[in-house]
Amino acid sequence: MTARVAEGPLGRQARQRRAELEGRYPEIFSPPLLSRAIVLALLGAALALFLFGFWQLGFSFGRMWRGLGRLGDFIPLMFPPNPETWARTEMYLWSLAETMAIAFLGTVGAAILAFPLSLFAAKTVVRSWVLRWPTRRLFNSVSGVDTLIWALIWINVVGLGPFAGVLAVMTSDIGALGRLFSEALEAADRKAVDGVTSTGGGPVSRVRFGIIPQVLPVMASQVLYFFESNTRSATIIGIVGAGGIGAHLSEQIRILEWQQVSFLVILILVTVAAIDWVSGKLRFAIMGRAPAGAAA
Amino acid sequence: MLRISGLTKTFGSVRALDDVSLDVPAGQIVGIIGRSGAGKSTMLRLINRLNEPTAGSVVYEGTDVTALRGRDLRAWRARCAMIFQQFNLVDRLDVMTNVLLGRANHVSPALAMLKLWSAQDRAMAMTALEMFDMGRLAAQRAGTLSGGQQQRVAICRALVQEPDLILADEPVASLDPRNTRLVMDALRTINREFGITVLVNLHSLDLARHYCDRLVGLAAGRLVFDGPPVALTDAVSRELYGLEADEVTDADPAADPRVTPLPARRSAGAH
Repeated sequence: MTARVAEGPLGRQARQRRAELEGRYPEIFSPPLLSRAIVLALLGAALALFLFGFWQLGFSFGRMWRGLGRLGDFIPLMFPPNPETWARTEMYLWSLAETMAIAFLGTVGAAILAFPLSLFAAKTVVRSWVLRWPTRRLFNSVSGVDTLIWALIWINVVGLGPFAGVLAVMTSDIGALGRLFSEALEAADRKAVDGVTSTGGGPVSRVRFGIIPQVLPVMASQVLYFFESNTRSATIIGIVGAGGIGAHLSEQIRILEWQQVSFLVILILVTVAAIDWVSGKLRFAIMGRAPAGAAA
Repeated sequence: MLRISGLTKTFGSVRALDDVSLDVPAGQIVGIIGRSGAGKSTMLRLINRLNEPTAGSVVYEGTDVTALRGRDLRAWRARCAMIFQQFNLVDRLDVMTNVLLGRANHVSPALAMLKLWSAQDRAMAMTALEMFDMGRLAAQRAGTLSGGQQQRVAICRALVQEPDLILADEPVASLDPRNTRLVMDALRTINREFGITVLVNLHSLDLARHYCDRLVGLAAGRLVFDGPPVALTDAVSRELYGLEADEVTDADPAADPRVTPLPARRSAGAH
């Protein structure tokens, strides 16, 4: 059963009336070439900008190629990965636990603080801009600064160590999570809210019963995703002295102990992969239980 | 001729459609009636192969539709256009592009991707739209139209597929009475003018009686009635709809089912 070539009655009618229809709907029949040309021109301009950027920053295949040679020199030095002593292994594992703790406490703390704030930032919850505007600006400004910068700031405020790390993760994520939460709140379906309002519910019940049940799975999933990605950034902030395994990593790279470095890298990779896997499963389970609307 | 034999579909332990056999000659408007969950949608979805049957077959003009795969299956879907309760248009695209999607199976994929439709395809889409007074809306975004207008766009999309069959799954269930009439009239028009066979699922017996040449009644997945509208007696409707029968049938076909006397409503509630 292949596509038919024979023309149906509609096709015949259309053929007869084509000239007349073209006269009456010129914009339908001659597709706007100008707008297509503009799209093409914009794409071309973007490509040109991309190439210009590479050229300006001195991108060179030659340097990359020679660099690859050097990479080849020290990769053999990384094998076999070896922490040398059990005492060191224990120390690394302890730092790894510290890194995960920073990610966990930072993410959960950020979520706890971002949740009430996000209510003020959502148009559907707080109508007046007097509260909404400053909350949004707060979210934008704190998340505009990277976790690493926050780590440097907090080290100076509370001193070196994991506490600064937790604060750094928390501050930058309050902004990001707050924005995501308030967007989820605004995207929630209004129908449920109308239903609650129709029963005589006040503003608090509207939010509590009309909106929150819809967005909770979305928020939980976002928090899990942030935990995943914070496990990685908590490694980085260790390098500047905010606790965790990053400090060891940068130290071992500095003193060219490649076997130690590869052991640390493998440790981090395994942990991140494990967390990815678990949180992926959890997120899927949470989203799966709330089908359709909630996912939007 | 569409020949359905022994068509069965089970979802887990539920028999959504149970050994249904039916012959539909070309050119009929067949109304499929029955209460929610009787298997009406399942039957249409099995014919279009949106779902796979558990047993039985659908044969169209000698071709076993249930055995088709790949390109042949897509060609079959293009031949039996589907119309949905929620219209299933692409809200963000304009009306014209939505209608032209019905031509996608007839032109080369690359041209369709780039939206390079031929003048003949455009003329077909405009002819279809004008037939239902929708020509001036061609450049509007589909999402901005009313439900009745969207459903007519969906009918135009089905029409430019130049299908042999149109399967309409509760096409008027989300529409007001006026739009209901416009959409049902549109289905009747394409049946009369183009000889397209129409299978339409309907909740309302009055609409089914008024618009269809033939009615097919399903109850709990089984075929319990097949005949012209005049043969649909009160006894049959009672079998189809159980205690709700008094609500959906009425001595006066024009009567609004919402003004049914209270006792019937109470018995339906008890059920």
